Amino acid sequence: MPKLVVKNLRKLFGTFEAVKDVGFQVEEKETLCLLGPSGCGKTTTLRIIAGLEVPTSGEILVDGVLVNDVPPQKRQIGLVFQDYAIFPHLSVFENIAYGLRVRKMPEAQLRTKVHDTASLIGVDNILDVPGKKLGLSEMQRVAIGRSIALDPKLLLLDEPLSNIDAKAREKMRAELGKLQKEIGIATVYVTHDQLEAMTLADRIAVMRDGLIEQIGTTSQIYDSPRTLFVANFIGSPSMNLIDCELVQNEERAILKSRDFALDITELAERVRGESKARELILGIRPEDVSVDVRKTDPEAMQSEVQLVEPIGARSIYHLKIGRLTVLAKVYAMPELEVGSKVWISFNKEKLHLFDKKTQEAIL
Amino acid sequence: MKRAPRLTQWIRKTETFKKLSTLPLNFVLNFVLIVPFAIMIFLSFTTWEPLSGYDWWHAPVAGVPRFIEAFGDARLLWAFIRTTVFVAVVLPLEFLLGLGMALLFLGDFRGKRAFTSVLMYPMMMPWVVVGLGFYLMFQYYGPVNLLLLKPMFGEGGMVDWFTNAVLAFGAVMIADIWQWTPLMFLIIYAGLAAVPRRLIEAAQVLGASSARIVATVHLPLIKPLLVVALIIRGLEAFKVFDIVYIMTRGGPGVNSTEVISLYVYNLSIVYHNTSYACAVSLLIMVATALVTRLAIRPLEVKVE
Amino acid sequence: MSDVVTKGAMKTIRYLLIILVSVWTLAPVAWMVSLSFKGPTEWYSANIIPIQPTVDNYISLFVPTNPIGGSYFFTSITEPITKPLINSLIAAGLGTIFAVLIGFLAAYGVSRYRAGGTFVIFFTLLTRMLPGATFVAPLMVFYASIGFVDTYAGLIMLYAAVTLTYAIWLMKGFIDEIPPEWEEAALLEGASPWTVLRKITIPLTKGGLVASALFIFILNWSEFLFALVISVTQVTTLPVQISKYVSAVGRMYGTMASLGLVATIPSLVLGYLIQRHLVTGFTFGRVR
Repeated sequence: MPKLVVKNLRKLFGTFEAVKDVGFQVEEKETLCLLGPSGCGKTTTLRIIAGLEVPTSGEILVDGVLVNDVPPQKRQIGLVFQDYAIFPHLSVFENIAYGLRVRKMPEAQLRTKVHDTASLIGVDNILDVPGKKLGLSEMQRVAIGRSIALDPKLLLLDEPLSNIDAKAREKMRAELGKLQKEIGIATVYVTHDQLEAMTLADRIAVMRDGLIEQIGTTSQIYDSPRTLFVANFIGSPSMNLIDCELVQNEERAILKSRDFALDITELAERVRGESKARELILGIRPEDVSVDVRKTDPEAMQSEVQLVEPIGARSIYHLKIGRLTVLAKVYAMPELEVGSKVWISFNKEKLHLFDKKTQEAIL
Repeated sequence: MKRAPRLTQWIRKTETFKKLSTLPLNFVLNFVLIVPFAIMIFLSFTTWEPLSGYDWWHAPVAGVPRFIEAFGDARLLWAFIRTTVFVAVVLPLEFLLGLGMALLFLGDFRGKRAFTSVLMYPMMMPWVVVGLGFYLMFQYYGPVNLLLLKPMFGEGGMVDWFTNAVLAFGAVMIADIWQWTPLMFLIIYAGLAAVPRRLIEAAQVLGASSARIVATVHLPLIKPLLVVALIIRGLEAFKVFDIVYIMTRGGPGVNSTEVISLYVYNLSIVYHNTSYACAVSLLIMVATALVTRLAIRPLEVKVE
Repeated sequence: MSDVVTKGAMKTIRYLLIILVSVWTLAPVAWMVSLSFKGPTEWYSANIIPIQPTVDNYISLFVPTNPIGGSYFFTSITEPITKPLINSLIAAGLGTIFAVLIGFLAAYGVSRYRAGGTFVIFFTLLTRMLPGATFVAPLMVFYASIGFVDTYAGLIMLYAAVTLTYAIWLMKGFIDEIPPEWEEAALLEGASPWTVLRKITIPLTKGGLVASALFIFILNWSEFLFALVISVTQVTTLPVQISKYVSAVGRMYGTMASLGLVATIPSLVLGYLIQRHLVTGFTFGRVR
């Protein structure tokens, strides 16, 4: 049975509807990420699951049991706050031990548990340090340790990495991922950073304005975004989005945009819904754009390099076709520079088409 | 390098301002405090009194007879003991009641602002009116007797508060507690309300009950504030004068409820024992300065 | 669900306690109000609501009468309280004005220019720590020598001096809230420090200044010891007058109560104003 079930969740703050209708499930040992821009209701949802906010309507079930009326103290859910909320007047040891003392765990057992948890999260060398003297990543570890020491049924994390500077963040992300595999508790993770979501989650729920736009595995979200918002949110750099229109007759189907035309006859049958001359948006990720100095692909289009962004082994090329700029993320080609003429082609298998009113047509 | 004339002018202007700004202050302080202070030091080494027959600035320096007299003065000792007892009773009670009230007011409830406003008023009333109010309350035919003790213990339960030294002192203490508990309440409440909400939520998620959270999160975090409040109130309580004067005048009898301030007042104004009053005052000042120094030490450290 | 029951019970207990605390707080004032509207026949009875309410007590404060008949109990009741009332107003009013003016200037000097240095701070602290009674003896000697006994000048100077420390302490706090960069900018433009004060600092700290002034007025209004010592007949203030009533042999509860209330009303009104002004004062500081 799923560890956590959220059904038809709705939350009003006065007249403001923070959460409109949210529902999802989390299985044991699974990590679900709630991803979305700030204000989309993801943190509110998390707080409702923890019991710190009361939903206007909807149900929360943990282990199959309805917990709507259960106070946060009794839910056995761990919550790691965005600012960690470490008790500044207590040592690391006492912070981790806090919940255990609430449960009146016998001293010897408590000590073992705290020490075990501390070594798991890597703080066993600073157990005596008072909370207010800890650095940010140390605080985060202690916050996590404090929650998992109680062997909660569910672990909730609210933007745990957003307070940490970029350099340390990479390291923490890796550690967090490792920790999650080791502990194996069902986890719900809230973030606005899509890279974090992609690396740490088993499944992602993309949220916007109090609703879940799409929920699925990382590859599902990445490869088959169902809405324009999801497609645009995931991926770095963002997907290229080009206005176009579909012109179809018995023989051919052509996508016509202001600056180029693309033949998609072989994909035409997969296009869903009405297709006659609708306003569409073509989506292609920069990774799926190929760049070549010679025209090896008969359907390749000519373009001019506008800007080169070197980011390591790969580079991002800003390419101009007519008045349109397309981004391509390919292995660096040092021979290219601003003004060079190149041929670009789109990987048709990775093409996305969206109705201008946000819905997807084909993969 | 030659300084720009405008800059020099500016520096001169601000320098003058700097000196001028504290000039009136110095004047007033010198006049009202330092001159009498100097007189006090001088007179305490004499044996002058208004009835001595000569002007005080002609008084011969007699050395330390007044100070020796002070150390042998039983009435002084008793005044000191009484004042200490007063503070020792009043301070903890004000603290505990203030703490209780703050905990009671933690969180929201209907009419909170109105109730809080009501609670503030005792602090703003003139001390003599507080004394007057409780003087009237504790009269033999007053509400404490008639509305509280008589219904509980019958006619025999009524007590003459002001003819018994202990009871009179108790009445004074109750008046002080009534007036100053709101101050403790205010300080403690401000401290409790400043505890970050996140910490409280974190403790809740970890399973702690409200009572436990108050004990393990709120109280430890406001400890330095509590120390400050106690020190401030404690020092003030030592100086009590107005309510004692109004309610008992030091009586019943001559000095059964006499606190230090009252004794010094009596010496100075009622008995006209000027040089002795000066000596005693000087001793009190020295003692106060020392105690203040000691009391400030924990405050200085806390400022870090 | 026992949870709901205990929650409801806790709420009721809490409200009961809060009401209890409120009753305790209001009791003395309520009793005084009650007494002040009672005639002499009811002064010794337990009823809180007067059976025959009367305003004679208040009237007799200003127009002394003898409600019990026969000879007066003591001379102080033969005087109307108009003089002590006016004296209190003058002493507290002028004393406050001086304290605020001098204190503000000094606080500004200390805050911005480190004027006075540790001396000022030390003295500020000291005057708050010492019991007022310790000053009384030499003060009397001094004042007697310069003829300041029983004079307005003497009393006002005293009041200003005593509350100066509060004034400086309070106003320095408000001045510190204003970022000095603004004043420095004006100074660099050529303005004199006085203009800076007038045009920049004072408007910004107005709320805090008013709150401080009101607070100090309440302190001066309530002041008792020094007024008692300095005044003989001319400058008796209201608190001193109250003490004269109390030291009487007679028990004119009603009149005493009305006097007490009259003396308290300014404090309560000002206290309310302070609460309102403090909010304005702080928002003033925040809107940068």
